[in-house]
Amino acid sequence: MRAAPAGTTTAHTLLHSLLDHGYGLATGVPCSLLTGAFRLLEHPGDDRRLAGLRYVPAPREDSAIGVASGAAVAGERAFVLMQNSGLGYSLNVITSFNLIYDVPVLLVVSWRGHDGNDAVEHDVIGRELLNLLDLFRLPYTVLDHEDVAGSVTAVVDDMDRERRCGVLIVREGI
Amino acid sequence: MTALTLPELVGELLTRHPDAVIVSTCGYTSRDLFNAADRPGNLYLVGSMGMAAPIALGLALARPGRQVVALDGDGSLLMNLGVLPLVAAADAGILHVVVDNGMHESTGGQATVQRADFTALALAAGYRTAVRVDDACGLRAAELDVAPAMLHAIIGPRTDGVGRRVTHTPQQIVQRVRGQVTPPSVLMEASR
Repeated sequence: MRAAPAGTTTAHTLLHSLLDHGYGLATGVPCSLLTGAFRLLEHPGDDRRLAGLRYVPAPREDSAIGVASGAAVAGERAFVLMQNSGLGYSLNVITSFNLIYDVPVLLVVSWRGHDGNDAVEHDVIGRELLNLLDLFRLPYTVLDHEDVAGSVTAVVDDMDRERRCGVLIVREGI
Repeated sequence: MTALTLPELVGELLTRHPDAVIVSTCGYTSRDLFNAADRPGNLYLVGSMGMAAPIALGLALARPGRQVVALDGDGSLLMNLGVLPLVAAADAGILHVVVDNGMHESTGGQATVQRADFTALALAAGYRTAVRVDDACGLRAAELDVAPAMLHAIIGPRTDGVGRRVTHTPQQIVQRVRGQVTPPSVLMEASR
């Protein structure tokens, strides 16, 4: 088997783990920490499983959640990739659709500003990310790069049990 | 010329697409759809203004071949115009209907930011079809078969009061729609 290109291994494992859990639709808005995942979604190459994962680029994070939610209403599994800044836009659809209709979708959210040493625009949301998720009782797992599949299983299990959007937090770039 | 009403519009849509899934935007639009033609294929949004088209798109992507209608409002679409390139780029079987009364009627009739040429916006974004109608004749004649398509329907002022709120719970709404779009083989599998 050909080795995955440098820097994309975690993203590759992540997307394949999501495929293993039955996810067939990906949507979202890019973040530099998620570059590898977006690269694979845009150019799956000769990876036939990845090529079967439909990717819909979205202009804004709440619309991406809308697309994933529509698929979830039909009974399909869909996930959304976004930067943590996008959670702000997303609060309306999460609180007035997903959490009201009991239609959970998985959010893969990068954590810009997690250590307070990022660009200034990430300071506030970076500091408050976990508080925000706790406030709306969204179950989350911080991605363990040493056990990507385990992290995916943990967040999907939490989401299925609680029927609320689960959040897989990506702290280091993938 | 007699102004169009939402029940007339819905009647024409259901004549053309009796099995359609209709995702209706929040406020009076969902209430009007509920009171005009309550049916299991209606996904009534009670909040999430601006999300009718994205949710309709997700349904259409999950069930290719199924006619999905986004029943949007002029205010709702203006709130989230970014859905136009989103829907166009995904190239799904969406009929995007914009019910346009020129106001935010559900919140008291405030003016929207402006009357917009939604067909021009849709075509510029990449929709393959866009038709504007303001009476029953135009509605019946509208050719909307090539998706993604937009129907911009100018609606006249309400003559009666607004009907009752949607009585189904959000969970019931989802279950009803899911039952409509789930392939029979999957339902059989689930009941075993």
